[in-house]
Amino acid sequence: MNADLILEASGISVHAGSQRLLRELSFTLRAGEVLTILGESGAGKSLLADALMGNLPAGLVAGGEVCIQGQRSAARDARARRPLWGRKIGLLPQEPSLALNPVRRVGSQLEEVLQLVRGLPAHAAAEQSAAQLQAAGLSASGAQYPWQLSGGMAQRAVASMALAGGASLLIADEPTKGLDAHWRDHVTGMLRTVAETGGAVLLITHDLRVAEALGGRLLVLRAGELIEAGEMADILRAPSHAYTRELIAADPAHWPVRQAPVSGPLIVQGRGLSKAFNGKSLFQALDLDLHAGERFVVQGPSGTGKSTLGNVLLGLLRPDAGSVIRAPGLATTALQKLYQDPVASFPPRQTLGSSLRDACQLHGEAWSALQGRLERLKIDASLLTRRPSQVSGGELQRIALARVLCARPALLFADEPTSRLDPLTQRQALELLGDAMDESGAALMLVTHDEDIARVFGQRQQVFAAH
Amino acid sequence: MPETFSARLARHCGLGLLILIACFALLGPALIGIDPATQSLGDSLLPPGASHWLGTDVYGRSVLARIAHAAQLSLGLALLAALSAALPGVLTGVTASWCGGRIERGLVMLADACMAVPGLLLVLLFAAIAPGQYWALYIGLALSLWVEYFRVTRAASRPILHGDAVQASRLLGFGKLYVLRRHVLPALTPLLATLLPLSAAQAVLALAALGFIGVGLQPPTPELGVMMIEFFPFYSEAPWLIAAPVTLLILLVLGMMLLAGDKELT
Repeated sequence: MNADLILEASGISVHAGSQRLLRELSFTLRAGEVLTILGESGAGKSLLADALMGNLPAGLVAGGEVCIQGQRSAARDARARRPLWGRKIGLLPQEPSLALNPVRRVGSQLEEVLQLVRGLPAHAAAEQSAAQLQAAGLSASGAQYPWQLSGGMAQRAVASMALAGGASLLIADEPTKGLDAHWRDHVTGMLRTVAETGGAVLLITHDLRVAEALGGRLLVLRAGELIEAGEMADILRAPSHAYTRELIAADPAHWPVRQAPVSGPLIVQGRGLSKAFNGKSLFQALDLDLHAGERFVVQGPSGTGKSTLGNVLLGLLRPDAGSVIRAPGLATTALQKLYQDPVASFPPRQTLGSSLRDACQLHGEAWSALQGRLERLKIDASLLTRRPSQVSGGELQRIALARVLCARPALLFADEPTSRLDPLTQRQALELLGDAMDESGAALMLVTHDEDIARVFGQRQQVFAAH
Repeated sequence: MPETFSARLARHCGLGLLILIACFALLGPALIGIDPATQSLGDSLLPPGASHWLGTDVYGRSVLARIAHAAQLSLGLALLAALSAALPGVLTGVTASWCGGRIERGLVMLADACMAVPGLLLVLLFAAIAPGQYWALYIGLALSLWVEYFRVTRAASRPILHGDAVQASRLLGFGKLYVLRRHVLPALTPLLATLLPLSAAQAVLALAALGFIGVGLQPPTPELGVMMIEFFPFYSEAPWLIAAPVTLLILLVLGMMLLAGDKELT
C-alpha cells in the first residue's frame, strides 16, 4: 500500500431505511492533496462527511468501506473510527462559534486538546497552545472567551483545535459560509497550509471561489449522485454536465450585470449620521440620499455597521448624531425590511398563510392579488399551510418578500437576504427581488458582504472597510 | 421538540387522575349525601364498612364525606390561587420586558422583595391577620405564587419582543395587541401549561401544611391538613383514618406534577 495514502473511500453510500440518500462513491486522498465536493444544499455533501467520520444522525446507515491511514473499517461501523477523531481525522464544522465551549477561554480549550488528545504534559501543552495561537494570528485571543471573537477568529481557533491532535485528514464542512471575502481568503489560506504541510483536505462547499482558489480535484454532487469528477481546472474550463455549468453560472462572479433602473423622487435622506457601539465608531457624519427605484448596495465585512446604517434609516435605531428625514407624505409603513434569517422574521407558531392573510387584511389588499404575487415569485400555494421552520430558506425569503410588498414599500432594506442560501437559490432569490423592485418602483437598499453581488447588482455602492 | 410517547402518556395519566379527583370533589358530596359536620358519638372510630366506606372519626363523622368536601376545598382554592397568580404575573412579566427601563427595574424589585420572604411565611402572615378565613389564605397563596409567573414570562417574552419577527410585524404596521396575540401568547402557552399545574400543586401542599400545623383553616372545616392532625393520635388503632387524607393529597399532587411534565422552564 502507498505510504502517503491518507484516505481511501470505497463505495460509500447513505441510506435512510429503503431510501437512498447518497449513491456509492469511491475516491482516494493522498498527503498534500485537496479534494473538493461541490453541490447545492441537499446534495448529500454533509452526509458524505458524516459517513466518513462515523457521525451520521440516528436512522441513517452508511455503506461501503473507509480506510484512514491504513486503518480499514466498514462505513457502517461508526464506532471503529471514533478513536481516530482528533488524532487522524479533524473536522472543521459549519458554525465554528457553536463548536467552542462558550464558558471557557480559547487558550485553555486548545490546551485541553493538546493534553488529552495528543498527550502532552501540562506545561508543554501551554507552550504549544500559545505557539499555535500565535501562528493562527490569535496570540491576543488565548485569554478571551469565544463570544468575544469575530466569526473569522472563531473559525481559526476551531481549526487550530481540529488539527491540534495531530490529524492529517481535515474535513472542512462549508468553512466559509457567511464569511466575507477577507475571512474567506483567510480560511482558504489556512486550508492550503494544511495541504502544503503534508495533510489532506476534504473540502465541502457550495462556494466556487474557495474551491477555485484551492485547486486540487473536484467532485460535483447532485441529489446524492455523482455528476462529475476530475481535476478542478479541467472541470471549470469545460464542464461536461449541464448542472455543473449551472453551478458555475450561479457563482456571483459570473452573473450578468443588472441593468440600472430609473431613479425617481427622494424618499429618505440621512444628514450627518453617526453611530458608535461600545465606543467603536461605525460611521461618522454620513450623508445619504435614497431615491425611488434605485438600487443602493452597502458592502463590507461583517461587524462594520452595514446593518446598523439600514436600521438607523428605517428608524429602528436612533443615531448618535445627525437626522433621518423621510419624504413628506410617506406612510409609516413605507419603509420595510428583509431579514438575513427569514425563519426568525415570521411568528414561529403560525402558518405562513395566516401570517400573510393578516398582512393582507391590515393593508387592505385582496387575497387574490397576493396569490398572484406568490405565483410570480414561484411559490407553490401548498407551502402556505406550513410553519416558517418547515420551508426552505430560499422559499421563505421569497414569501417574506411577498409579505413586505403588501405594505407597498417605498424603500426596502434587505439585510444580507441571501447570505445563507446556496448559489443557485441565491441567484434566483436576488433576481426575483430585483424584478419585484423594478415592478413596484421602490428603492432597494441591499446589504451584502459579497463584493461580486455588490458589483453586478448595485447601481450605487457604499463600501464599509474593515476597522 | 416533539413530545415522546412516554411523556405524553404521563401527562394523560396526570390529567385522568385530576379529572377523577375533580369528579369525586364535585359529585361526591351530593352522592354520599351525609353532612360532613354531623356528629354521632355512638359511631366513634368505626372501621370502613357498608354505611361508611372509609369509616368514621372520633366524633362519628363520615370520613368519606369529609374527604370529598376537603378535595373540593383544596382543588378549588388551589386552582383559584394559581389562576389569580397567573394573570398578574403574566401581565407584569410582559410589561416588564416590553417597557424595560424604570418600569422593569421597579417590577423586578417588587418580585425580588416577594421572593425574599419564604412563600409559606407570606401565607402565614396573611393567615395571622384573619385566622381561619378562606380569603386570607387565598391572597397569601396568590401573592407567593405570582413571582414565578412574572420571572418565567419576563424571561420568555424578552427574546420574542426584541426579535426580528416582532420587529417585522411592527414595521408592517401591526399594533401591540397583534404582537401579544400572535407572537407572545403562543410562545407563553406551553410554559403556562407547565407552570399552572406546578403552582396549583404548591398551593395544595401549602394549604395542607398550614392546616396540619394549625394555623390554616380551623376545625371543624373538612380540610386535608386539618384532618391529618385530627387523625394523627389514632394512627395505631385506626390506621385507615390517616391513610385517607394522605392518599388523596399524594394523588392530587401526583396528578398535577404528571400534568406539568418534566420540561425545563427558562
